[in-house]
Amino acid sequence: MTRGRVALTGLLIVAALAMAAIVAPALPIGSPTEISKDLALRGPTAAEPFGMDDLGRSVLSRVIHAYRVSLGVAITAALLAVVIGGPLGLIAGYAEGIPEQLIMRPLDVLMAFPAILLAIALMSVFGTGALLVSVSLAVVYTPIVARVVRAAVLATKVEVYVDGARALGATVPRLVLAHILPNAATPILVQASVLMAIGILVEAALSFLGVGVRPPTPSLGLMLADGRGFMLQAPWMVVFPGVAIMLAVLGFNMLADGLRDWLDPQQASGR
Amino acid sequence: MPLLLGMSLLVFGLMRLVPGDPAVAVLGYKATPEGVRALREAFHLDEPVLQQYLRWLGGAARGDFGVDFRQNEPIGRMILDRLPVTLELTLLATLCAALIGIPLGLLGGARRGGMADRAALAVGLIGISIPDFWLGIMLILGLSLGAGLLPSAGFVPLSESPLENLQHLVLPALTLAVSRAAVLGRLTRAAVLDVVQRGFVQFARAKGLGEGAVLFRHVLPNAAIPIVTVLGLQTGYMLGGAIVVEMIFTLPGVGRLTLDAVLERNYPVVQSAVLVIGAMFMLVNLTTDILYGLIDPRVRRR
Repeated sequence: MTRGRVALTGLLIVAALAMAAIVAPALPIGSPTEISKDLALRGPTAAEPFGMDDLGRSVLSRVIHAYRVSLGVAITAALLAVVIGGPLGLIAGYAEGIPEQLIMRPLDVLMAFPAILLAIALMSVFGTGALLVSVSLAVVYTPIVARVVRAAVLATKVEVYVDGARALGATVPRLVLAHILPNAATPILVQASVLMAIGILVEAALSFLGVGVRPPTPSLGLMLADGRGFMLQAPWMVVFPGVAIMLAVLGFNMLADGLRDWLDPQQASGR
Repeated sequence: MPLLLGMSLLVFGLMRLVPGDPAVAVLGYKATPEGVRALREAFHLDEPVLQQYLRWLGGAARGDFGVDFRQNEPIGRMILDRLPVTLELTLLATLCAALIGIPLGLLGGARRGGMADRAALAVGLIGISIPDFWLGIMLILGLSLGAGLLPSAGFVPLSESPLENLQHLVLPALTLAVSRAAVLGRLTRAAVLDVVQRGFVQFARAKGLGEGAVLFRHVLPNAAIPIVTVLGLQTGYMLGGAIVVEMIFTLPGVGRLTLDAVLERNYPVVQSAVLVIGAMFMLVNLTTDILYGLIDPRVRRR
């Protein structure tokens, strides 16, 4: 598979899942929250290919609705991190010296914790809910984005064409926005896809542990937590949500991989 | 050291941000004004914030983290009791990750574009996409409950029975290792591909060395630095991942302690346990940096 095709496949997976999530209420898949006791723990059938959960809710419908939360959290968190971490990295990389120290040292402290631990600690303080998960993840991601952008800026600003633009009298904002920033775009784009992949994993993990999304909302992590108790009678309750997580993460990872090699031929030459 | 100080400040500050009065949160519906006041005094919550911080930090430096909100047990003891489990799990998982990941990467890197390479790439991509807690559930379902091969929960200390200890840790370690092995495999492959292009490798081939000798004598030592870096980083991440895995396999480790404390709103324990895990994470990263110097003399000279 060529690299362009990897990126495209990833993009297709992500787009298909996002599409399904967006139009979920209109799909003929039934309600994700409707309880029917007679259908409890019924296995996969033609009408309900993913089976029913312990309360007789459609697993297929819940999985698709859960993608709304999953993808929503992952994308919001990555965007927030880029919006906050990007400018910080830009300033740190361009200014160096004291501003850089002031920005990067506190971010180092955030990076000194394993991501999931920091996310759990943040959630324990601020409570549960999809929005808070996004914010916590954004806090965890911000230093990562800032570092990536800073590194790109440091590498770019010594280029001859930047010196040239400066000699021609370009102002600092123009120098940064028109000449330096475009070179940071590729690493940011790649990093954002990776962060979305991680975001889906971490949201699921947090919800699974009981410090993420709140129960009535369908979430892939919560479904796994529920299904764990019925593993033997109803394996479909744990199999399908897990595969669903994997598929979304795989999509974003393929997108990141493909983008990296496609947009950055220098790095790809070794492959 | 400044980093550790910053970490302690962050954790402490975070725990002060908890909405409401922790004393009320602990006592719950049984909270009476007198009870709350007594608790606040017992845990020095009535003191100025700076004094609270310094008290905690001073104690932490001596390994004394105070007592917890619920059982009045010394937190230092609680953490110390559970630390060996987490360390053993992490070490075992690191070993698994290295044993799976490095050969996978070598296999791919040595024959780029071949069937083995493509298979290794696909395995790597799927590996990094599997949620580890789900993998753990699947392993329990298949190997423990299904085939009855290994225990699905619980723990036996190493000192009691090394064999049973290992039986209880194999699945958790494997669960933790798979995604890490995939990352390691991808990186090993990239590092090998990078080295293979260099002149000295072509020279080694030109003088008639077999592919095996070229790979192990010339390529691997030169690809070792990025591999060790990533292995170190991954070991650090496993300390975090251990939280989830310990929960699934009901292992009595520090991660489980932290999670239980979070769910019980036992903030003194959360605060100290998070700091300890963070410090270990930092220590792992530091060790990785030192290992660099041992592997690559070029780094040492600088």
